[in-house]
Amino acid sequence: MAQTVYSAAGSDIAQSAPQVKPKRQPNGFPAVVPALVLIVLFFVVPITALLVRSVLDPKPGLGNYAQLLGSWTYARVFANTFEVAALVTILSVAIGFPVAWMLAIMPRRWGAVIFAILLLSMWTNLLARTYAWMVLLQRTGPINKLLIYLGLIDHPLAMVNDLTGVTIGMTYIMLPFIILPLQGVIKNIDPAILQAAALCGANRWKCLTRILIPLALPGVAAGALMVFVMSLGYFVTPALLGGTSNMMLAELIAQLVQSLVNWGLGGAAAFVLLIVTLAIYALQLRLFGAGRLSHGGQ
Amino acid sequence: MLLNYHQLGSWKWFLTGFTVLAAVFLLLPILFIIALSFGSSQWLVFPPPHWTTHWYRELFSDPRWLESALTSAEIAVLVMIFSVVIGLIASFGLTRGRFAGREALRALFLTPMILPVVVFAVAIYALFLRIGLSGTLTGFVIAHLIIALPFSIISICSALEGFDRSIEDAAVLCGAHPLEAKLRVTLPAIRHGLFAAAIFSFLVSWDEVVVAIFMASPTLQTLPVRIWTTLRQDLTPVIAAASSLLVGLTVVLMLLTALVRKGMKS
Repeated sequence: MAQTVYSAAGSDIAQSAPQVKPKRQPNGFPAVVPALVLIVLFFVVPITALLVRSVLDPKPGLGNYAQLLGSWTYARVFANTFEVAALVTILSVAIGFPVAWMLAIMPRRWGAVIFAILLLSMWTNLLARTYAWMVLLQRTGPINKLLIYLGLIDHPLAMVNDLTGVTIGMTYIMLPFIILPLQGVIKNIDPAILQAAALCGANRWKCLTRILIPLALPGVAAGALMVFVMSLGYFVTPALLGGTSNMMLAELIAQLVQSLVNWGLGGAAAFVLLIVTLAIYALQLRLFGAGRLSHGGQ
Repeated sequence: MLLNYHQLGSWKWFLTGFTVLAAVFLLLPILFIIALSFGSSQWLVFPPPHWTTHWYRELFSDPRWLESALTSAEIAVLVMIFSVVIGLIASFGLTRGRFAGREALRALFLTPMILPVVVFAVAIYALFLRIGLSGTLTGFVIAHLIIALPFSIISICSALEGFDRSIEDAAVLCGAHPLEAKLRVTLPAIRHGLFAAAIFSFLVSWDEVVVAIFMASPTLQTLPVRIWTTLRQDLTPVIAAASSLLVGLTVVLMLLTALVRKGMKS
């Protein structure tokens, strides 16, 4: 308001006299300096240094990358990582979609209960949750006992120290991350569209496959990409539930650095993980815009 | 009709049943740990033959558990304070600033949240080894601060974007110093964002395990590191007791959040 009055007056005077400059607004940059210094010093610099090390340590060149990408041992690790991440993503979407859908339309009271359970699960210490699955899935654990009792299996299944356990544990951890955002997407779909389809004679299946799923698809895809990329770099759960024979990428990086003190190779593996992660986020940005990463931009 | 719960017809029962099963899947492991922590079986037989508080006594009689919990709390509180203060200042710049590269900067500030923690952990560990911060309290606080800051910035930025700035300007027009207006008008108005930032920052640090595994020294261990190293040896029920206490803490924090939210609405 004051601004418009000011500039209107300003344009009148502008011809005859030099325009009076408005009091300079602080541009706000100094405010971000502390955070910027912190991020540059302790995030950008160390990660760059690690990547530099991957091409310099032990000797300059791409030797580390050749070793990493050229051996069957490491190929197995990459295969494990992508396999588990893909399975976890598929399972999370398959379980998460109906739950998100119900959560969006359920009577408020029940929705609140489900919501509280989701938050409790998400906020509970990761190690505590992983511990629960280590016990639940072990050879003599309750799940094996139950399956034997029901006569579904004769011998206990080896789920711990196996990718099965990792997949179950990771799906458990990722579910809230897909349900919560997807629930919001479905809630924003206009029910009138489905009403209209029903009036035009579409049955339930048609409404589901032709309208609800396509409308929810951007949300599903965004959530799925997020789960996939989080799973790729996950360390704790695969390390505890998978054991050393079923290593995944994050565990390999940790082991190369911690046990083998091979910084060059570890840095190279970290760089591969970094590039894959960033590539998937770039894909997500391209497909769904910047809304998810930097909300409120122009 | 698919988006109206009461018009779902026969699908309603199937979908409700599925959702209940999923909720049980999410809740069961947590209830299971609590049951286990009171079970008498060393070998985690379930259902337990007898009930006992033995594991809790064992947990509290070992000073190393308490010590690591205190270390974790100390780090988490420091991280919380720095994260909220630095995050608040940065958020003012990010939401109100007019400078080139503001959006790029916002993206940079959020990057630690989306990158795999293990990459950051290895990198910061290498740096801290070189400058002598590995295994120190300062090192832990700095590393956790980097991970917590994005959560703080997101919470506070969104609160600031929802705040009508003209109220602050009005206070300045009425004679308040700009800083005073910020402290006495803006901060109370965005307190829910500050509260969320504080809770998230605390939890991020309190639960952080990957960076901590690398940096922990025999003399300085956080609670997650202690659980991790114990878990690698065996699945003792003492961990179930410790985990149950952590679940209790989560419930307290959730109730606190709900209460604060309710209090702010009224």
